[in-house]
Amino acid sequence: MIEYDEFDNKMILKLVYYGPALSGKTTNLLQLHDILEKQGRGDLTVLDTKNDRTIFFDLLPFFITAPSGLKIKLKVFTVPGQVRHDATRKAVLQRADGVAFIADSQLPEETNNFESFKNLEDNLRFVGLDIETLPLVVQFNKRDLKNIAGESDIRSVWGPTGIPVFLASALEGWGLLETFGRLVELTYEHTDRRYHLKEKHGLDKEMFVQRLTKRADETVRP
Amino acid sequence: MDDCKGIEYNGNIIGADKDIREIIKKSDIMPLFQSAAKTGISYIALEDPEGEVLYQCGDVSEFPSSSSLKKPLYLEGEIAAQIVMMWSDQKDDGFRDIIDLIFLSAEMVLKNKFRALLAIDTHKTVVNQSYEELLDTNRKLKQSENKYRELADSLEKTVQQRTEELKRAHAKILHQEKIVSVGQLAAGIAHEINNPLGFILSNINTFNQYVSRMKEMLVFYRGALEKGPDDNDRKRAEEKWKRHRLDFIFRDIDDLIKESLEGAERVKKIVSDIKGFSHIDEAYEVETDINKELDRTLNVLTHEIPDDAEIIKNYHSLPAFVCNPSDICQAFFNIILNALQTGMKGLKLIITTRRMTDHILISFSDNGPGVPEDTRGRIFEPFFTTKEVGKGTGMGLNVTYEVITSYGGTIEVESETGKGATFTILLPLTGEEVDV
Repeated sequence: MIEYDEFDNKMILKLVYYGPALSGKTTNLLQLHDILEKQGRGDLTVLDTKNDRTIFFDLLPFFITAPSGLKIKLKVFTVPGQVRHDATRKAVLQRADGVAFIADSQLPEETNNFESFKNLEDNLRFVGLDIETLPLVVQFNKRDLKNIAGESDIRSVWGPTGIPVFLASALEGWGLLETFGRLVELTYEHTDRRYHLKEKHGLDKEMFVQRLTKRADETVRP
Repeated sequence: MDDCKGIEYNGNIIGADKDIREIIKKSDIMPLFQSAAKTGISYIALEDPEGEVLYQCGDVSEFPSSSSLKKPLYLEGEIAAQIVMMWSDQKDDGFRDIIDLIFLSAEMVLKNKFRALLAIDTHKTVVNQSYEELLDTNRKLKQSENKYRELADSLEKTVQQRTEELKRAHAKILHQEKIVSVGQLAAGIAHEINNPLGFILSNINTFNQYVSRMKEMLVFYRGALEKGPDDNDRKRAEEKWKRHRLDFIFRDIDDLIKESLEGAERVKKIVSDIKGFSHIDEAYEVETDINKELDRTLNVLTHEIPDDAEIIKNYHSLPAFVCNPSDICQAFFNIILNALQTGMKGLKLIITTRRMTDHILISFSDNGPGVPEDTRGRIFEPFFTTKEVGKGTGMGLNVTYEVITSYGGTIEVESETGKGATFTILLPLTGEEVDV
């Protein structure tokens, strides 16, 4: 959690889209920005990209006011995936409330996915976060491409970890809202356990998730 | 937050909310406000969400009857500030476009400043974090450096200890080498001593027999004298004299004594040579005549010199050299013995001594098989031997090397396989030597 100010009745949460370089983290946020209801969120800030590669991060802010008047901001970040930007990843990862790990489904990317996930584990430990309790979802992106890891293989590898796994094509715009929705859900549960969002502020999970994942055109479903 | 136990960097958390005052400074917005004033805006201001005026241009009271606009500026989907503008009622409808343009410009300034600030913050955080990590790395390096320093200290002690042990072991080996060379000599020396001792013993035995015959003769004479000798006595005395071959005995006694004395002298000389070579009484440095020490060494090696060998002493007068004569003899001994042990028929060994400007030169030249090129560089190494296992200690020339270098001297070998070898020793002179 970035900030919780009881006096100002304000809470700022941080979600981080992590993953190897070019796995589609920024595309995920761009699509969320396009798909989701404009009311209750800000614009996507794409910070310093060079040749379509993120150097710092992207930021998509949301905000909800709980019935109690508590203002909750949810800021979704991406990290740069390239190995050399590890310091930036650590900096962005600080005080994260939830992480979506965006893996590249293409078979040759298996090693990069593995190394990036290991890097996530190391950096979480570095910034003092516990991977066992931190809300975490995994998305296997680029399902629209050929030469990709089979779904059954992915399930057999990730199933035992208990981490929710989603298949998606950020480019075609499917699977990413489910990823985000589940992460938001887990983040609510995690935050509610400590800050009693429902009990003290009258904000329940359905309301929270519904507000954050409301599509701009609710009638159109893929 | 309490769920964050990791490293913190000056509370600079990426994503923390920023106040409008942090994002937009006066210098960021004033150029826009001044341009607005030029277009005919009578008053323009930036207010925080609560309505407090942060920066302004123009005066509200100047035009009491005027149109105005108050419009929020959004950041991250929330109102971050608002722009307030006032202008004269006389402006036409087209002026509205200018108002919109000014507002859009203000929005742009805010967005760009916000992005720049985020970038700067991230950069700062990364730099701070790298710095903290560097400090941490530095601290760890220091720790390990200390550890290694301690290790190095104790290592130095261990090395010193081992060096002492090695020195003692080396000294012991040098001592043993002396004993070994004496041992090598022992068989020959034993033979040398045994020979004269053998005939001295046999002579003494003979002499003992001669004495008992002479005693018998004397006893007979004394008895005859006491009672007064008669012709019979004289006859018996003559018989006895002849039977005991006393004429021969008297002649032989002289030879016996002369031979025995010579033998004893030989034994005495051998013992004295060994004593001289070993310098039992001189375990310290004295002024030494190198030529004399070479002779001593050759003396103890006499029995090792084959009959057909020729030793040529090409000595020149030398100044006294201050050294431990026992050591220097040992050094010569090992070189000479090596030459003698080549098993060469018709060995010729030339020993030359010469005074150079500031050195004493001693060279040993033989016509033996020489030192093969591949081993030439190693012959002074300890434990290096070309002899069969158990025959050589490999210490001989190493001892020579150690002794010569300990006096600041040098030793070199020149050799051609099959054409003999020349060992050249140079001992440095201090310039205070006196001729001997």
